[in-house]
Amino acid sequence: MAETILVVDDDLDILELLKMNLEPEGYNVRTASDGESAVQSACADPPDLILLDVMMPHKNGFEVIEELKDIEETKNVPVILVTARGQTEDKIRGLDTGADDYITKPFDLREVTARVEAVLGRTRPIKYINPLMRAMGEGFSEEGLEQLAGHLQAAAAIQKKLLPEQPPHFDEFDIATLLQSSTSVSGDFYDFIPLSETRVGIVLGDVKGSGIPAALLMVMIRTALRLLCHEEDAPASILKRVNDLVVRDTEADLFATMIYGILDISTATFTYSNGGHCYPFYCRNTRTAEVLKTDGMLIGAFEEAKFTTGTCLLEPGEILLFYTDGITETEAGDSQASNGNQSVSTSLNGSTSFSEQNDGHQDAILTDMFYGGDRLAACLSKNASLSASGLCEAIVNDLARFSGSTQTRDDRALIVIKRDV
Amino acid sequence: MNFETTIEAGNISTLHVEGKILGNATDAFRKEMERQIQTGRDKLVVDLTSVPLIDSSALGAIVTTLKCCQQSGGKLVLLNPQKAVQEVLEVTQLATVIEIYDTEEAARAAFM
Repeated sequence: MAETILVVDDDLDILELLKMNLEPEGYNVRTASDGESAVQSACADPPDLILLDVMMPHKNGFEVIEELKDIEETKNVPVILVTARGQTEDKIRGLDTGADDYITKPFDLREVTARVEAVLGRTRPIKYINPLMRAMGEGFSEEGLEQLAGHLQAAAAIQKKLLPEQPPHFDEFDIATLLQSSTSVSGDFYDFIPLSETRVGIVLGDVKGSGIPAALLMVMIRTALRLLCHEEDAPASILKRVNDLVVRDTEADLFATMIYGILDISTATFTYSNGGHCYPFYCRNTRTAEVLKTDGMLIGAFEEAKFTTGTCLLEPGEILLFYTDGITETEAGDSQASNGNQSVSTSLNGSTSFSEQNDGHQDAILTDMFYGGDRLAACLSKNASLSASGLCEAIVNDLARFSGSTQTRDDRALIVIKRDV
Repeated sequence: MNFETTIEAGNISTLHVEGKILGNATDAFRKEMERQIQTGRDKLVVDLTSVPLIDSSALGAIVTTLKCCQQSGGKLVLLNPQKAVQEVLEVTQLATVIEIYDTEEAARAAFM
């Protein structure tokens, strides 16, 4: 985002000149023509830097600085003083008062730009540290920061440890997973919970919100699930109880979407409930991908949430695919956008995707902009003969081709369950 | 994304949004709704006629605001969500807890 500079001078020509000089450098420029309105403007919306004339009637530059240094919102905003040539006293007084630099009039515009950039370069890191200082209070010290960095690493490590490294192994079923995190702590998660010799609980979820609060919610949900799934059988009742637990203890803007289900090897069935999560795909032997539409409310936001249980029978060779929206919301890369109207030929029964063909201009634009459910379904059908891990790899490659990048903006997670042929 | 807020009879705020509500844009969207509530306007209509897509953080902002409005006896309703947005509301089942209207008149009548 562009940085904002507040330029203060009682000479309107100089204001205009500085504005015209600084705006092409990419700064937002605001102006004030006297000390009083400068203080008001700075308080109302603190700029990233103030370029402040010393010699102004009523309230001069020194008085402005002194006032700003007394106000919480503005005390850390860097100030460059503009003084008359040769006024050494002014320079010293200015620096004493807390100015970060000074420029003498008449000035060379190139010097102004260079000094502005130099001061911003010096103070930028401080701007980011300020909120941290406030939050840490007394604990803000070299030691405190090291401790905090340590805690963040530990949180990421704990979270990583909570994810099973290997999906469980069963005869007749081939299971693979993928997790790509966009930050050190991930909002996407999955889990496998052994319930008996032939039954395993499977979870795929996406905690909305980000950073540590989201990571804590994920740990909470995971723990609740691990306990509850031994007490209760029906996935819908389990999600209901998880929701009841979470809704009590979290802020409104923190919630999760997830699928919990039980894979029963002896009957080759998957019994599941969906808490507001992207509908999973079910790929038949005929290689048509269908969506499993069982509805349920997202988790942790509403007390009166309802969930239902659905069942799916897996014939030999059939596949279940669970994913998070980081997959379908992958944005197109430049090359993709330029070759525009690439169409996806696979038709879906009851697709949830927004990209059905021949359905208006807006949908066509969306189809090109995001990977979407149709492309995922097409990739699944096309690669249905591969192993579960081969299929994960094929999807990752397809995403990289589509976005032109192996990086991800959002977390991505996948679970593929394939019954052996 | 752009938006414009109009205040109508009965102190109902209508937030007309234009464009995708994704990523960084969500913050401005959230703040505008917060601003309405902070100024005592807890009857909100979010006009989604010109919004082709929203992401999960925008959904979070709507959920948060909905709950804030409800706490103070107000309400948040959605106006005319387009296909992709409607689908997100259905998958997450938010469509069952948020009132959704097709016309501005109907949305406003919801507060009467």
